[in-house]
Amino acid sequence: MRIHGIKLVAAVAGLAALAGCGLGGADTSSTPTANATGAVTGKVSLQTWALKPKFTDYVQGVIDSFEKKYPGAQVEWLDQPGDGYAEKVLSQASGGSLPDVTNLPPDFALPLVKQGLLLDVAKADPKVTEEYVAGGLDGYKYAGYDGVYGYPWYLNTDVNYWNSELLSKYGLDAKTPPTTLDELIAQAKTVKDKSGGKVYLMSRKPTLIDLTNAGVPIMAADGKSFTFNTPEAAAVLDKYRDAFKDKLMPRDVLTTKYAGNAQLFNSQTVAWTTAGGNYITSLTTDNPTLAPKVLPSQAFGTPPLYVQGLSVSKSTKNLPAAIALARWVTSAENQAAFAHLVNIFPSTKASASDPFFSKSDGTPSGDAKVIAFNSLAQAKILQPVQVTQAMADFVDQQFALAINGDEPSQKALDDAVAKCNQLLNG
Amino acid sequence: MTHKRWFTPWLLIAPAAVWLVVFNALPAINTVILSFTNAKPLGGGQFIGLGNYTRMLDDQQLVDALINSIVYMLICLPLLTLLPLLLAVLVEKKLRGIAFFRIAFYTPVIASAVVVALIWGWLLDDRGLINGMAERLGFLSGPLPFLTDRWLLLFSAISLTVWKGLGYYMIIYMSALGNVSRELHEAAAVDGAGPVRRFFSVTVPGVRNTMLLISVLISVFALRVFSELYILSNGTGGPGGRDMSLVMLIQLYGQGLTGHLGYASALSVLLFAVTVGPMLFLARLNRKES
Repeated sequence: MRIHGIKLVAAVAGLAALAGCGLGGADTSSTPTANATGAVTGKVSLQTWALKPKFTDYVQGVIDSFEKKYPGAQVEWLDQPGDGYAEKVLSQASGGSLPDVTNLPPDFALPLVKQGLLLDVAKADPKVTEEYVAGGLDGYKYAGYDGVYGYPWYLNTDVNYWNSELLSKYGLDAKTPPTTLDELIAQAKTVKDKSGGKVYLMSRKPTLIDLTNAGVPIMAADGKSFTFNTPEAAAVLDKYRDAFKDKLMPRDVLTTKYAGNAQLFNSQTVAWTTAGGNYITSLTTDNPTLAPKVLPSQAFGTPPLYVQGLSVSKSTKNLPAAIALARWVTSAENQAAFAHLVNIFPSTKASASDPFFSKSDGTPSGDAKVIAFNSLAQAKILQPVQVTQAMADFVDQQFALAINGDEPSQKALDDAVAKCNQLLNG
Repeated sequence: MTHKRWFTPWLLIAPAAVWLVVFNALPAINTVILSFTNAKPLGGGQFIGLGNYTRMLDDQQLVDALINSIVYMLICLPLLTLLPLLLAVLVEKKLRGIAFFRIAFYTPVIASAVVVALIWGWLLDDRGLINGMAERLGFLSGPLPFLTDRWLLLFSAISLTVWKGLGYYMIIYMSALGNVSRELHEAAAVDGAGPVRRFFSVTVPGVRNTMLLISVLISVFALRVFSELYILSNGTGGPGGRDMSLVMLIQLYGQGLTGHLGYASALSVLLFAVTVGPMLFLARLNRKES
């Protein structure tokens, strides 16, 4: 019996050793093997996120022109599918096979920065701070970590869109839309009363972005704790709770994620939504009966800034080519060409004077693009990148409880902050 | 001519054994080990003893998920054990056109769980077919919150599971019914037993082992439910996240670059323990009755 016991323990220990226990973590000891200022030659890999097949020609054109400019360089382009990108990056990072240049949004880059897997591009390429807009660079600066960990690639923000036909029908004017939450709630009541509750103006729960816009600090300055359980935040939730109780929002805002708002707007059940600057143009194809009725206005408060960027692996074997490639893809001319194809805005200072973005052709679609472009000057990242999916889900759930009246707003906020802090430090 | 090689049986079981060890045993052991750590997907973690397990005691999400999973099992278990048996007895009859009903009852089984849940979502939505028809016919003055009320959402998901599972378990019962002796039915009928009496005294004892097997399968499935609740709640876990199942909770904590693998592993160990419980109980019941 005893021998059997010893054998069992040995077997389990052996299996555990084989399993690797999952505690090893990524290898963070690697350092750049090349100098950033060397010759741009050799192979370099570029990973993008779901750009094939829609933008294959564009990306391939950028790569071809890079290889033409640097005849000794060869780019290996990897495009990963939209779903499961975080898991793909995770497996590459933990397996030590992160491509030389990778498209990482700021929240994806942060855990890699914490493990020392990404290059401080401001150190390797000091000009980066002069050539890219501050908002874009801020996305790749993290509390507690010196440096900039990605070249901002492209930017976006939100614009308010109003269904002018519905607003007129129910006694409102889309040319003077609400500019604050209080005005929005007041107009939502008008729409509800005059439509007999068949049409809504509001159809989404508040998020951390709304709290930021109400002046609530989401995190402490050192990024080590959450602080959004303030009376001001509770007052915002209370306003939404009262609006929900007055049936100014459909019931399914309690469970519908943000896309639900756009769906209801598309079906003309809701008269207000938020989207990027190119929304009306895409509606012209996707929903041609709705498109002519839509009018844009600037987002409430400080517009949110959404950033995508290219990060360079710290363990790249070809640093000069990696930096040159990241710079090339994010250059003003290449970003401008991309922005002509899709709803994005360039992150380079040189693009600020491009009339394509700053001048409207007088149509609502042109106005929306200009509103979005001008909004970028004030736009900020309103939700800290430390907020993980699990935190965002929990916050969303707590806000739903508060709005539905299941929990007092302050308690919902206290619970949300406690859970976020636990997840941040756990 | 016959050579007795000692390793021949080992060689024969080797592929299956390697598969089991690599894809079952090692991940299971790894999960148990991770449950005692604060591991993250990147950077590993440290041993924190029972920290994740004590954290469970103070986790309202877990309490809700456990309640949901247990309610799910308690309702699904009797419904999916008995209703498919009744259906099997009905469609077993050799009647003209009975094949149509067999196919109709089985169709939900072959449909994708995700597609079916999406269709149910559209049916049960505030502006969906059921609420729309009920309001138009004057049965309701406003929509019933099938998808936005904690308990209605849970019961909607349970209804979906039962509807989808009926055909599957019906087929299993049909094969078991084929082994119930005709002579016993005839003898009972001669003795004056009616259809109900024959059902309880001949049919049910004849398929008792199958019932136990099905009970185990349903218990395990109900405790591990994911798709129905996930899709009907749009991935949010219902209002306030109170319709999450244990598996949804594990997914919430385990996913992404910043996943909390230690806590997700501890939840997985708990799910294993909760799932094994009813299985052992039913196995014991079976042994006792045998």
